[in-house]
Amino acid sequence: MRKRIWMMFCLVCQVVAALAQDAPLTGQLLDSETGSPLAKATLQYVNKNIRTVTGEDGQFSIAYYPGEVLMITHTGYKPHQMVVRKGQPFLRLSLDPNPKELTEVVVTGALGLRRAAREQATSSKVLNTAAINQGKPVNPILGLASKVAGLRINMFDSKVDPDVQINLRGIRSHSGSNAPLYVVDGVPVPAINRINPNDIESINVLKGANAAAVYGSEGVNGVLIITTKKGRVGQQQLRYSNTTMFESVSRLPEQQDRFGNGLNGVYNPTQYQSWGPEYDGSMKPVGVVLPDGSQWELPYSAVKDGRRDFFETGITTQNDISLSGGDAVSTYFLSLQDVITKGIIDGDKNRRTGVRLNASRKFGKLKTGFTVNYVFNKNDVTPSEPWSTVYRLPANLPLKEVQDWRNTPYANPNFWFSTNQPNPYFNVDNQRNLTKQQTLNASLQLEYPVTRWLDLIYRAGLYNRVENIHNTVGKFSYTTAGRTDIAGSVSDGSANFTRLNSDLMLNFHKKIGRFTNRLILGNNLRADDTKEINISASALVVPDLFNPGNRTGQLGGSSSVTQYRQTAIFGEFTTGFDDYLFLTLTGRNEWVSVLNPDANSYFYPGAGLSFIFSEAIPAIRQSKIISYGKLYTSLNRTGNVSGIAPYALNNTYSQTNGFPFGTLPGFSLGTTYPNFNMKPEFVNSFEVGTQVGLFDNRLKAELTYAHSMSSDGIVETEIPGSTGYSAALVNAFKVANDIVEVDISGDIIRNRKLRWNLGATLYHMKNEVKEIYGELDALFTFRQNYVIVGQPYNTFMFRDYRRDDMGRIIVDATTGNPVGTNELYIAGTGTPPWQLGFHTSLDVGNFHLGAQFDWRMGAIMYSEAANRMISDGTSPLTVKYNRQPFIIPNSSIETADGKYVENTSVYTAGDRNYFANFVAPVQSNYAVPADFFKLRELVISYNLPSKFLGKQGVLKDASISLVGRNLFSIWHSKNIYNDPEFVYAGGSSEGYLSWRHLPPTRMVGFSINLGL
Amino acid sequence: MQSQPSMIKRFKHSILVLAVMSTSMISCKKFLDVNENPNNPVNVPVEQLLPNVLVSSVNIEVIGLSNSPGSSGSLNQLGSVWAGYWSKATDGPSTPSLFRLEETYGVEAMANDRDGRPFWEDIYSILNNYRNIQTKAEESGDVLYSGIAKIMQGWHFMRLVDLYNNVPFDDALQGTVKTNPRFEPGEQVYEKSIDLITEGITDIKSANAFAKKPAADDVVFRGNMIQWIQFANTIKLRGLLRMSQLDKQAYINSEIAKINAEGSGFLGVHAAVNPGYISGTSGMQNPLWETYYRNAQGALTTTYNTIRPTEFLINEYKRLNDPRLELIYVPAKNSGTYAGVPLGSDDLQYSMDNTSPFRGPNENNNQPAGLFKSAVQASILMSSFESLFLQAEAAERGWISGSAKDLYESAIAASFSYIGTAAPASYFDQESVDLDQAPNRIARIIEQKWLALNTLSGFEAWSDYRRLGVPAIPQSLASPNMDPSYRPLRLTYRQSEISGNGDEVSKQGPINPFQSTVFWDK
Repeated sequence: MRKRIWMMFCLVCQVVAALAQDAPLTGQLLDSETGSPLAKATLQYVNKNIRTVTGEDGQFSIAYYPGEVLMITHTGYKPHQMVVRKGQPFLRLSLDPNPKELTEVVVTGALGLRRAAREQATSSKVLNTAAINQGKPVNPILGLASKVAGLRINMFDSKVDPDVQINLRGIRSHSGSNAPLYVVDGVPVPAINRINPNDIESINVLKGANAAAVYGSEGVNGVLIITTKKGRVGQQQLRYSNTTMFESVSRLPEQQDRFGNGLNGVYNPTQYQSWGPEYDGSMKPVGVVLPDGSQWELPYSAVKDGRRDFFETGITTQNDISLSGGDAVSTYFLSLQDVITKGIIDGDKNRRTGVRLNASRKFGKLKTGFTVNYVFNKNDVTPSEPWSTVYRLPANLPLKEVQDWRNTPYANPNFWFSTNQPNPYFNVDNQRNLTKQQTLNASLQLEYPVTRWLDLIYRAGLYNRVENIHNTVGKFSYTTAGRTDIAGSVSDGSANFTRLNSDLMLNFHKKIGRFTNRLILGNNLRADDTKEINISASALVVPDLFNPGNRTGQLGGSSSVTQYRQTAIFGEFTTGFDDYLFLTLTGRNEWVSVLNPDANSYFYPGAGLSFIFSEAIPAIRQSKIISYGKLYTSLNRTGNVSGIAPYALNNTYSQTNGFPFGTLPGFSLGTTYPNFNMKPEFVNSFEVGTQVGLFDNRLKAELTYAHSMSSDGIVETEIPGSTGYSAALVNAFKVANDIVEVDISGDIIRNRKLRWNLGATLYHMKNEVKEIYGELDALFTFRQNYVIVGQPYNTFMFRDYRRDDMGRIIVDATTGNPVGTNELYIAGTGTPPWQLGFHTSLDVGNFHLGAQFDWRMGAIMYSEAANRMISDGTSPLTVKYNRQPFIIPNSSIETADGKYVENTSVYTAGDRNYFANFVAPVQSNYAVPADFFKLRELVISYNLPSKFLGKQGVLKDASISLVGRNLFSIWHSKNIYNDPEFVYAGGSSEGYLSWRHLPPTRMVGFSINLGL
Repeated sequence: MQSQPSMIKRFKHSILVLAVMSTSMISCKKFLDVNENPNNPVNVPVEQLLPNVLVSSVNIEVIGLSNSPGSSGSLNQLGSVWAGYWSKATDGPSTPSLFRLEETYGVEAMANDRDGRPFWEDIYSILNNYRNIQTKAEESGDVLYSGIAKIMQGWHFMRLVDLYNNVPFDDALQGTVKTNPRFEPGEQVYEKSIDLITEGITDIKSANAFAKKPAADDVVFRGNMIQWIQFANTIKLRGLLRMSQLDKQAYINSEIAKINAEGSGFLGVHAAVNPGYISGTSGMQNPLWETYYRNAQGALTTTYNTIRPTEFLINEYKRLNDPRLELIYVPAKNSGTYAGVPLGSDDLQYSMDNTSPFRGPNENNNQPAGLFKSAVQASILMSSFESLFLQAEAAERGWISGSAKDLYESAIAASFSYIGTAAPASYFDQESVDLDQAPNRIARIIEQKWLALNTLSGFEAWSDYRRLGVPAIPQSLASPNMDPSYRPLRLTYRQSEISGNGDEVSKQGPINPFQSTVFWDK
């Protein structure tokens, strides 16, 4: 990166000489690493008393003296001298960051204000566009995975356009969100998955709750401050890039390949379960006799890679064009992106097309700017979960042969061999979900310096997401008996979300003596509106016409609207003493529409202290070892109502049970006991940390400890059914988080030709639920997942066998089968308490190599697919005893009440009955450690040297990269199931692998990047 | 430092700005006033509540409240499997999942939050809807509604005891006002339920001409309050008969005396729910039809293709030369004979084509068949023949006047008539049917009651089996324990109640669902 900019710089200098000299020398100064503009840098002719200071956008204008030496200096950067040549009215310059002062960077902090990192009293990490786009993700959140200590990113699945779960520093809320707040160019937005990652200049991950004071309660989970690219003063820049990635299934769950379809060891041509005899290679009939008298015949042996053949090679193609530029008063940045994804399941596809225009203009003292981002996303997938059928089918089935179900008689649903499991290809074709989503995100910013010490800032943001949903199931009438006709259905829906956000701020800033002071006072208004409409028909008349008018029966449908309003006043006061000791005080009072109108106001304060000891203490200042040192601490209390939905304070009635029947209405009471006097939940958080740079900042380290305690947590708690309600909305949930984060990065080798950087992040989280509600000590969330007092938030209780006091499985004296399969035990948490990230980069000449590793440990997982595979006889567990009777190891028999003897003689049949009823429902049989180590990103790129580009003058720079994502991963040896990273429902469902989860994939591809 | 006057001037500026901001705060109250629900009402009159909860009362019997048989189960499914009516073809489309817990006696797993049987929560939720109607009706003086609500609460509390024995009664249904409801002994809850039903009858009888009168919203009796009282008396009689094996004759006599004193007698028609079922729309048809026969589009359901009678049931019909067999089932496709499946068998010979599915109109020359008559038929809550069998047993026990034999035979005749045929005189004359030739008269009444309640009131049949051991239903072949006495006798408390009300649950002592009985099962 730096090389390239230097190269450009040299080119520019040569061109400069050729041009005229009367006009002043203008240009723009950039950071050579991030490419961001450098404000307040000094340019001075060494031999003349002429100097200037760069503006906000790094622009400068200085008298033109060819041949003179110009000296450019900026805090935190290496000074640079250059000879001014004849020629060019516009000069683009860049400065190298000075490692001595590297940690002095200016970041975009809360409120979108640029501020020195040294002020910040919380741990934060800035990732620039290169770091985010290293693995060429489509969803920018994936570009953060494992790069920030304390930030955990989980993919939902390998489907196209997968959802992503993001979590910062543990769990604070049960009902509300635990995802950080996204702030794009100063405006809070609900999602960033549709943002083109290439449009992002930087993401600043603010981990503490400090930002909540200025952004509102959602900031309690930390904030991702996303700054999109702006045009720069100077030459117009046109960039084009193409990335093409190929995706293939990297690993399937292990399955047995010894036994085929049948029951009780007897072959059955119409049975899908694999409880038949052992494969012998003979030809066997499959399915029923077709009307023409023929019958499908297959060799009775496992098809090699049969199930893997079900998956296609996915292809993702990204095409990006961006155009940017600017002059002394205005800038613009225009980008277009088109991403086409073809999934690993036949027919699944997604296309995202987006355009962004960011522009700014100065009108005298008034600075204006706006951003508009429009994205159209079309998602066309099957909801039929075909993979969950594939892994249940016997291994002797050649899947590719049944893909053409329309023209292959035995693949057609009429004659498909199983009545229980469908032909997965038929379902893929017959069940389609089409979602067209449009996202419009626009913001307007006005900034006016009223006086030298007061700026007035106004910012308005609009976020609008419109979804049109068209879900269809084709009608299919069987010509054969014993099968239920598919009536066909269509569901047409639209979902509309609109957010308006307005921030008015007064920014007072004044230096008084040795104190630098800043006071921000502001007002925030927020209006969220949703509207969802759906109409549906559950039986079609004319096949393949998917309109609810083409139906029998009643029209189905519903419509709902919600409104949320919020207003706040907030303030932030920062004072810095001698630029090494900073105190920040924050406060915010919020009024929200979702609480009792008589008690809808709440206040929350915060305080932070940052101390640059490397400057304050002379001994350290002189030190050759310590180049930079900072200590920081902060204390915050944050209110949060995100767990209270609009209208949740009152119980309502709704028409259920099929009502209305004609003219007869019928309402039933809601099952959640309401609470009109809900309060906000509060999180008290404390953080202390240190950041040091050693040996000329070649080694940088940050160590942070954070504690948070949520109280009065909003929880829709389960209450005993005997209360008449299944749940109640209460303020009760308490959870504590203790977090340690370490971030180390160092240049092992650093010289002009070679730079090798190695870094690691470590994150340890101790999370404990202190209280749920009243006497309640466990709250069922879903599947085997519970919230349990005294345990980490996301804890699993699995079923196990009834065991005697020696831990032996108690079996029945006659059948040899376990007597109890329903003993719940606390198995552990699904959220890894330990997380490590490693990254390395190596720059040699024009080559760059970057790699990112992710290592998570200490969690447990289980797969629901295992349950089904065991029941259906495709799991390897079912062949451990060769399908023969055996004595359950470590089992005992009850001889008298409470007396047990070791079982040495009673055999379980080891048949389907045993596996389906005594192994499959017992999760302890397939609960495994969720540890994994993964190579998330690997990139090798090559910048074309300037001599190749020659003097053609069109192409300014070019690079080509080979990119790999998830190239390999190592799981715990017991994990023969699925990728432990996958989550199911968001919130905190780590460790639960659904029966519908696809296997993980590996992506490889290439990327070309051209500058014009 | 800047000069003082300038500072003050600047401050004036900012005060002005703050003033503008605070003006905007005044309109803020209106800005924030958007929390009134535009989607659902927060208050609804009783006549718009009653129809829904009456449908819930019958749905929990027939299909369960979540409307997905097999995943949450229904009382009728539980009873129909454990009373020996239902089994499955071994190759049916939903064979691996349909009533797996019932067939494997997986009682403990029924307590699980996931894939369990949420009868506890669902019944209390239904009770809560009736309690809400009662409260509203008492406030407005609508005694006919409070009467119905009390009668139905009695019905459901007794169901709870039948499943779980000791359950909360006085402390129940109060939301977070009482989050740890105290459990009361099943016997006490039974007595309180009977009292509640008596109160309901009193409410109804206290109505004057101005009382709000249920009409179409009474989806059971269409506002016929005499039938409500007869139904209430019959529920009480059923409750008293449950206690037949206890030493409670004095109590029973006094309660029978109340029924006699009341004077309206017992249910003579079907207590059946029909909100105005509509054919052709899923969720608006008769639930038994839609789940166990044909879906809204007229296609045979996967449950229909899977479910089969037990071999034992078919043999009983055959033993009695019972013509109802041919109206309820169709012969097996391959053999042309009536064939069932031993419960829990996975023997391939019991395939769909080798066994008998239900008969419906399509298999009956488009005439209404035994159990499946039309997609809009009423759902049976309590049949007239169940009422007659209850009376027959009570008469046989000498509790009520009348001839047990007459009541027994009219019960059988009413069952035949429901199934769609007349009982020939020869049927009653058989030694195997005639009450007077029975070695055990009570057992014979229950045997015939068992045949009559097939698939309609499985829960009652299971309760009779628990109480009297009649008929001799074979054990499931999928039982985890081969001891033939190993049968589910009750359910265990649900995980959700244990989590939130654990102290009260543990006071009920250790429960082994294969040994611990409910109070009336001695």
